[in-house]
Amino acid sequence: MDLNRRNFLKLAGITAAASALPGCEREVGRLVPYVLPDDEIVPGVADWYASTCRECSAGCGILVRVMEGRAKKIEGNPDHPVNRSKLCARGQAALQGVYNPDRLRGPLSRIEPRLTGERTSIAWDQGIDLLSRHVREAGPRTIMVTRPLSGTLAWLLSSFMCAIGGRLYFYEVGAEWPVRAAAREIFGIDAWPHYDLADSDYVLSFGAPFLEHWLSPVAYGIAYGAMRQGRPAVRGRLIQVEPRLSLTAASADRWVPIRPGTEGLAALGIGHVLLAEGRFAITGPERRSYERLYAAVSLDHVAAATEIPREHLIRIAREFMTAAAPLAMGGGAAAAHTNATETMAAIEGLNRIAGNVGKAGGVRFYQPASFDSGPTVPWLTERAIADLAESKQPGSLPALWLLYDVNPLYDLPASIPFRRLFEQSESVVSFSPFLDETTALADLILPDHHPLESWGDYVHAEASPAQVVSLIQPVVAPLHDTRAIGDTILAVAKRLGLPGFPWKDFPALLKERWRPLSVGTDGDAEGPKADHLWARSLQQGGWWRQPAPDLTIPPARRFPAYEAARFDGDQEAFPFFLLPYPSQSLGHGRGANLPWLQELPDTLTTAIWGSWAEINPSTARSLGIQQGDVIRVHSRHGFLDVPVLYFPGIRPDALAIPIGQGHTDYGRYANGRGVNPLSILAPLFDQRSGALATGATRVRIETTGTQRRMVLLDRPIPQPESGLLTIHRNGPASS
Amino acid sequence: MMDKSVWMATAFLLGSGTLAVAMGLLYSQGSADLSGADAQPLRFSHELHAGRLQIDCLYCHRFAERSTAAGVPSMQLCMGCHQNLATGSQETRVLLERWREQTAVSWVRLQRLPDFVYFTHERHLAHDLQCATCHGQVEQMPYTPRAATYEMGWCLSCHRDNVASRDCLVCHK
Repeated sequence: MDLNRRNFLKLAGITAAASALPGCEREVGRLVPYVLPDDEIVPGVADWYASTCRECSAGCGILVRVMEGRAKKIEGNPDHPVNRSKLCARGQAALQGVYNPDRLRGPLSRIEPRLTGERTSIAWDQGIDLLSRHVREAGPRTIMVTRPLSGTLAWLLSSFMCAIGGRLYFYEVGAEWPVRAAAREIFGIDAWPHYDLADSDYVLSFGAPFLEHWLSPVAYGIAYGAMRQGRPAVRGRLIQVEPRLSLTAASADRWVPIRPGTEGLAALGIGHVLLAEGRFAITGPERRSYERLYAAVSLDHVAAATEIPREHLIRIAREFMTAAAPLAMGGGAAAAHTNATETMAAIEGLNRIAGNVGKAGGVRFYQPASFDSGPTVPWLTERAIADLAESKQPGSLPALWLLYDVNPLYDLPASIPFRRLFEQSESVVSFSPFLDETTALADLILPDHHPLESWGDYVHAEASPAQVVSLIQPVVAPLHDTRAIGDTILAVAKRLGLPGFPWKDFPALLKERWRPLSVGTDGDAEGPKADHLWARSLQQGGWWRQPAPDLTIPPARRFPAYEAARFDGDQEAFPFFLLPYPSQSLGHGRGANLPWLQELPDTLTTAIWGSWAEINPSTARSLGIQQGDVIRVHSRHGFLDVPVLYFPGIRPDALAIPIGQGHTDYGRYANGRGVNPLSILAPLFDQRSGALATGATRVRIETTGTQRRMVLLDRPIPQPESGLLTIHRNGPASS
Repeated sequence: MMDKSVWMATAFLLGSGTLAVAMGLLYSQGSADLSGADAQPLRFSHELHAGRLQIDCLYCHRFAERSTAAGVPSMQLCMGCHQNLATGSQETRVLLERWREQTAVSWVRLQRLPDFVYFTHERHLAHDLQCATCHGQVEQMPYTPRAATYEMGWCLSCHRDNVASRDCLVCHK
């Protein structure tokens, strides 16, 4: 047919008429009633359950909105003393963990060959049999490594490991051990200190990223708000000393871009001025102990080494002296070097000199709630793992590894041959609810429920100004064929015939151990009354009493002598400091399988769904590197290919890469996305605490000639004259 | 003999009229969901239950007074009566079969508001609205069709007549 004018108009008419015809197929919605109704469910009306967030170790109280048996939203618990109705993005995103399509759906066992063979589904009975047999064979050569736990689960695992003669360790990457080790040295207390930001009026923070992910970020965020705006006529000041402009530094009144690894020296310089100008009346042996540490340094040497001008140091010291409630704190980037404990000690010493220990606005230690979590569980430091991995006596190595919610294969650099330990063991059992890099190598996987499907409790440590024991209760029925680790352990104990485990399941044990808290002094409460009191604890979300009594702090002791930080790679061949920092949303990688967190823009760069390397624009230009160019970052232990992001808030001699991406076996949302900067780190550790020194690796970069698209919500404007360059060129700003 | 052009004009008018009626039917069917009404998996009659047997609406749709949703009766609720009553009818036999298998009857949904509309039965019942005002006299209907358009103009006309709030945020939260 010729397409002449007449035909064209006819066709156009038919098409127009046809488009006006309504579609015949209508989507039919279905209404499916319950076969047996649940008496407690009213369709359309939400139930709110109180529980505890387990996304990080802070343990915030949460309320979960549940409709028709489905968890829909998580909010902060307004009554909970730690987070007082606030909740961070990671807590909000916990929902996506429950409904994650990559969750383990039931027990799995591996057929030969070990570590690489196919996994097959097995029944729970079979799983318990296998685990019992492994435990019986390995006996005292069993090692259990879990994320830091407390309360009833910690007690049960301790008791179980004790009964079989094995060892239990807690392990957490980036756990800020140096902070705790320094508290032990300076205050004589083996506990996390609590920094009372809310009542302080001058906070001198050496790298502590308390507004991002540090210790208890929601609680510190609330305290920070109170410090800034909570008091009439007092606005607390915040000085952040660290090589990279973190979110905390960006919120500070002043950011001091110090040379990495010299934070302790800067603290010594400031302490030197404090003692020299003598505003604090300290005499006798106490003064001598301070002088031994602080008086020995010369201010010019400090200024040269830290690259903080002498006048700046004096100014900070004088501000610190004249403040009503000064507070020095350290962590994060400052605790990432081989001298981390000494550095933290030098910083904590400033608090001792200023006499603000155990006072409002200072460093405090509180009496934790008296709840028996069993014997103190030692921590497995990265150095301990490295020592174990390089051990020359295979006979002394653990034969059976029991792993719960830890992922050392992702967290540890390739230079620590952790995999070897698995290869030399007889079997590896994982209880993790997700497949991750470590669980993927396990011979037997007995997956735990998600925390929102579990029973449990959480005892808050000394750092909390209230005595808190939070309860964890299931808000939804388990979606898959998983089993709580507590129940699995009780079943194995029963199978092995171990004495002392009479409970029928974990909730029964929890309830029994909670009796003193839920029933309280009402010793007569039995039956319905005790049940009522237990229900009240559940409804409230736990037990708490505030304020907690302060712990008594012994007088100052001898401080550890300061040592300079060591770095891997010499400055000529490897000119850049590598500063890996935990992503605010993904943490140390735990959140990478949650799309909500992946799509949450990084607060300072607005980047999403990927990795990037932050470079000062002046450095990048001098090397001819454009934003988006892929560079190869070499350490002595490996390399990474990562796109460049111009970031004016970093020292020109440093390179920062966020931690959290670069997974190979953590579900569809995490796999193959970005890079893991931990993988190229050198096996250097903090001398005293044994924590991995994540900032101690030097790197060089080379261009690859390729470009990669980075998804940014907003493109930061690269400014040739960054504040940092101005300071270097013109000396200190005279503000 | 009439002019050929008159025949042509008549045929054209008839033809376009038929087309208009056909199109109209298609559209009206689309909005009234007539096709769906007959497709229930089980021929449940409101005329029998609510009409002749005079069972209160809230006996089966028991959440209407305290929830956004009125609720579909559970299978257990149906069986409360049908364990013993009218067990011989064709429909009840289907119900009993499902109960024996412990599976639910998956009803065709007739009334549905879009996600961007917040509606709650509870508030409307608290203001003494009768079910029939919105859902029609179902006690006279053997097979329940969609009673109203449930579009915004329809909602607003009632809100206007009863001096209820017409603030946007009442329904669009």
